[in-house]
Amino acid sequence: MAARPATATDIADPDKSVMERAYARWAPIYDAVCGPIFSQGRRAAAAAAREVGGRILEVGVGTGLSFDDYGPSNDVTGIDFSEPMIVKARQRLATGRFPQIRSVEVMDAHDLAFPDASFDCAVAQFLITLVADPERVLDECARVVRPGGEIILVNHLYSERGAIAAVERWSARPARVLGLRPEFPFARLATWALRHGGVELIERRRLMPTGVYTLVRFRRTG
Amino acid sequence: MTSSGNVDPKLLEILVCPMTKGPLEYDAGRQELISRAAKLAYPIRDGIPIMLPEEARRLD
Repeated sequence: MAARPATATDIADPDKSVMERAYARWAPIYDAVCGPIFSQGRRAAAAAAREVGGRILEVGVGTGLSFDDYGPSNDVTGIDFSEPMIVKARQRLATGRFPQIRSVEVMDAHDLAFPDASFDCAVAQFLITLVADPERVLDECARVVRPGGEIILVNHLYSERGAIAAVERWSARPARVLGLRPEFPFARLATWALRHGGVELIERRRLMPTGVYTLVRFRRTG
Repeated sequence: MTSSGNVDPKLLEILVCPMTKGPLEYDAGRQELISRAAKLAYPIRDGIPIMLPEEARRLD
């Protein structure tokens, strides 16, 4: 793999093996903890994906908490690099309640095992700020989405200026110790899109009422 | 979605090697997906393809 250009950040990216171990520990309690916290952002991302329709790839599907957010007419494939999470997602599929979910597989978002342009839409909820190389994951999402298709992200993206930004960066310090990276700037996504050349930013929206999460949409241009 | 232990043939058609993005061969006996170009055999455990190079068996 060729070296990537330096990115617009001075923040270290989390180590993958640390994250893998963390998620294996999290799998048994993930639904109870993350279900309520992330439900607003999750639903907003799925709603945006339903607008695009067609074949949807959910990157970082976890235990499949989002399965309910899609309708019977959707065609969703889910991937996650944590095998314990995917085992739980598959148990959820085995109930037969989710005909809209085609399959779930263990895969690394940095190296997707799908051909180019095989999806109409790629969705990543609360993922891009946690991966070791966010730009490479975005490159892979863009690769597997067809021209005219969309990449939909939901994340906590920090304010880049002013007092709120300072408070957010300060309060983010304990989370970094746990392997999280809550201080991810929107500018890093915008810089990626410019450098990529084959995507355009089409929406950046704070999710109300809390405004804690931001929904970002990119369109594949060609 | 097929029952546990079986892999959906349609799913195998859409998967490629995550390293080379080239085609995969399905070995039903060993439950592996083989990438000749990468010299890797990706395991299928309980019907779930594990498309991670670090989990794959090296082919000589």
